[in-house]
Amino acid sequence: MAKYILKRIGYSIVTLFVLITLTFFMMRLLPGDPFTGEKQLPEKTMEALNAKYGLDKPLVTQYIMYLGNCLHGDLGLSLNTNRPVTTIISESFAYSFDLGIRAVIMAFVLGVLLGSIAAIKRGKATDTVCMLVALIGVSVPSFIVAAVLQYYLGLQPYLASNKTVQLFAVTGWGPANSKILPVFALAFGSLAQISRLMRTSMLDVLGQDYIKTAKAKGLSQGAIIWKHAIRNAIMPVVTVLGPITASVLTGAFVVENVFAIPGLGRYFVQGIQNYDYTMISGTTIFYGAFLIIANLVVDLAYGFIDPRVKLEEG
Amino acid sequence: MPKNLNNKVLSVKNLHVSFDTYAGEVQAVRGVTFDLHEGEVLAIVGESGCGKSVTAQTIMKLNPMPPARIPEGEVVLGEHDIVNATEKEMQKLRGKDVSMIFQDPMTCLNPTKKVGKQIVEAIVHHTHMSRAEAKEEAIKCLTQVNIPNPEERAQQYPHEFSGGMRQRAMIAMALSCNPKVLIADEPTTALDVTIQAQIMDLLAEIKEQINTAIILITHDLGVVASMADRVAVMYAGKIVETGTCEDIFYRNAHPYTQALLKSLPSVDADKKDRLVSIAGSPPDLLDPPKGCGFAARCTRCMHICREEQPPEFTVSDGHTASCWLLHEDCPSPEERGEKDV
Amino acid sequence: MANIGKIDKSRFGWVGADPEHREGLSRPSITYWRDAMKRLAKNRVALVCLIIIVLLILACALLPLFSSFSSREQHLAETNKGFFFQCQDDRYEGKNLVHIFGTDKLGRDMWTRTFEGGRVSLMIAFAAVFINLIIGMIYGGVSGYFGGVVDNIMMRIVEVVNGIPYLIVVVLLMLVLPKGIFTMVVAYATVGWTGMARLVRGQALSLKNQEFVVAAEAMGARPARIIARHLLPNALSVIIINVTLAVPSAIFTEAFLSYIGLGVPVPQPSWGMLAQEGAAVFQVYPSKLWIPAIAISITMLSFNLLGDGLRDAFDPRLRR
Repeated sequence: MAKYILKRIGYSIVTLFVLITLTFFMMRLLPGDPFTGEKQLPEKTMEALNAKYGLDKPLVTQYIMYLGNCLHGDLGLSLNTNRPVTTIISESFAYSFDLGIRAVIMAFVLGVLLGSIAAIKRGKATDTVCMLVALIGVSVPSFIVAAVLQYYLGLQPYLASNKTVQLFAVTGWGPANSKILPVFALAFGSLAQISRLMRTSMLDVLGQDYIKTAKAKGLSQGAIIWKHAIRNAIMPVVTVLGPITASVLTGAFVVENVFAIPGLGRYFVQGIQNYDYTMISGTTIFYGAFLIIANLVVDLAYGFIDPRVKLEEG
Repeated sequence: MPKNLNNKVLSVKNLHVSFDTYAGEVQAVRGVTFDLHEGEVLAIVGESGCGKSVTAQTIMKLNPMPPARIPEGEVVLGEHDIVNATEKEMQKLRGKDVSMIFQDPMTCLNPTKKVGKQIVEAIVHHTHMSRAEAKEEAIKCLTQVNIPNPEERAQQYPHEFSGGMRQRAMIAMALSCNPKVLIADEPTTALDVTIQAQIMDLLAEIKEQINTAIILITHDLGVVASMADRVAVMYAGKIVETGTCEDIFYRNAHPYTQALLKSLPSVDADKKDRLVSIAGSPPDLLDPPKGCGFAARCTRCMHICREEQPPEFTVSDGHTASCWLLHEDCPSPEERGEKDV
Repeated sequence: MANIGKIDKSRFGWVGADPEHREGLSRPSITYWRDAMKRLAKNRVALVCLIIIVLLILACALLPLFSSFSSREQHLAETNKGFFFQCQDDRYEGKNLVHIFGTDKLGRDMWTRTFEGGRVSLMIAFAAVFINLIIGMIYGGVSGYFGGVVDNIMMRIVEVVNGIPYLIVVVLLMLVLPKGIFTMVVAYATVGWTGMARLVRGQALSLKNQEFVVAAEAMGARPARIIARHLLPNALSVIIINVTLAVPSAIFTEAFLSYIGLGVPVPQPSWGMLAQEGAAVFQVYPSKLWIPAIAISITMLSFNLLGDGLRDAFDPRLRR
């Protein structure tokens, strides 16, 4: 087990290192330097700025400096707002995290439920309906879901009732009714993916011999599903929680924009649109580190849930 | 322990089982009749696909219905009518009155549950024992099947058990509620030869110790000889011959039984005697033959065999076979024009 | 004992075994591929999806050619018009032309833009998936075939690449490279090949120990030949399924990138660009988002369903 944990941690560190390196050199590849903006700065200022950010030193030195800064949590100043990227992240990520964690939980719980129901009722109308919903989920991009939900469930009822009844708030992130639509829009795709995976996995488990053994013991259908099938069928779903977290996090770029939630995704997209390179590279590294750690946690959690992993890997 | 062979625990009469598939109705079992008495070991022998497992699973109603169907016949376990029992009633019977061990112990235990827990589950379901009592009972069961360090073993997961040990655990689980009937569906097929012998010895030991009747399903006639009281040979969904071990091995009357025995390797056989395989394969039960199911592969087949199903003929007391050759009007081989192929 | 009447002796005449009928269980043998195709042909949903995909591709390839308007041509007098709007631009006076899907905020014909956008989106998706396929097959084939240390190192690399969130890398690449279709393909292919590589490697590992490969090796075939002639064709079914399911994810990526402002350069239309423009005016002109949204969704849905159908057809375990 210890070996397994160490191996996973080792991979994560290497991956993070590769990501930081990649980001650094990509940013250096950008045409021009960060200070050749629209208005021409005086030469003195340019030199001062270049010295301040170490841009006058050789590339290798810059790279080592950059690595060191990343380790200290210094991701530079946003070119647009002139505020430290770390500050922006720490302010805005709370919203993104709140939104994301709700979406992941919703996707997982509902996805597992929907997939299980579909598998148990295989071939019946319930199955067809569940899988149709899931299919729509994997086939409609989240920004479309977000825009449609915002308009038809948020804005239209509000306007139709002469601005008296507001079922769901259309923008912001505060009261409960402002959270439902964004969370759902963000979770829908992952929910669909999980339910499809869960259905396959559940069907696979239900066909296993040990389910027959449980039935031969005299257990009821409910007890078999609850005590034997679900737990085993969930394992493959747990392994995709890492990628699901990633897709929720990137999906948030869009959903936060649609619903005007002041999260990190929104700043990231704004950074892209304003060519705010330090903001982009800083956020990229932060996102990367976050997802790598999330993956690590999922992997380790899987090692604890599935008793078979210990023997094989440890 | 004295055994009372008159105490009937299971009676199967003219059982038919069909599966509705997209290609049509597969008649997997086509009229099987047998009785099982307390403490008796009945072996059901036959090629794969002959309906022996389906018969066994129908006794516990383990086949999902649909696609499975019982168009005809009755199964009486103790005083319970299985064919008409509801799922609720079956849940009380399964594991308590009749239990089953399966072919592959590697896949029959839930890999994510501790072995002890899986046994406790069965005990708690059928008795009023508390979990702690059930745990003790489970350990007793593990001891009974000769698993060393049962307390420790009960806390382990199936992957920490060897194949033979898993099958022992399966047997312990099956016996945990003292069932009247134990169905062993090819219990040694997936195991190494040496382990096979150990498991068979264990079953023989259990047979001596308790009064549980055993249905032993196998395609291996060698396994049968050592412990069966009676043998039923199945072919194409029917029992073609039944009798004691001696009847089947030395006084067999059905060409299929004879062919099956000829295909069995034996140590003391003459070197000249070659193993004879049975050419062909069992008939498609989607569209079963009109006459005897074995007719197309039988070297002694006659006209009538292809036209009419043979009834059951009594060879001697307790020994029956379904073959037209046994009919009183059947003339001698010379008169039939039989040639040795 | 059954009680039957006397039976005529003639009926007991010996006939012996019947070699023609004794193979009871064997049904007419069909090859794996024909069997799979037969099952696919029975799957009506998958067939309909296949037809939709073919029609979509044809429409995107041909319709813009026959359209009276070009996708970049602006009719500034008739912006944001609805369906079947009669064109009043002087250039087309008296021709009685209709903007079938209406016009966008610059008065460009939505019908032309939708299908030309589809052409771009599909082209990006197909090219990206194709490149992934090539890289993945070579990488996975080599890794799986050679095994041992080579496999170990190559798979570690895959693991690291896989650990980097792909959309973030794509975003980075899109920033660095000049905007355009080619960049999108490169960006997607840089990180997208790992899945295919893993898949092919798994197939190669399981196939390479089978007798026919050992036989080819024994006869002195070179590794490249064995990979190309023996391993890949056998892994083909898995690859086809995967490719079909990779197309919607590429289409999604294109739409996503366009939406956050990293799409193809204006005025080039693509479904993602159209969706982005549509989303901006959605609350006033819903159809401007609905058209690309439906196009994207139908395409993704069709590919997903076709992929499911192919999987059911190729995977005999799911045989019902």
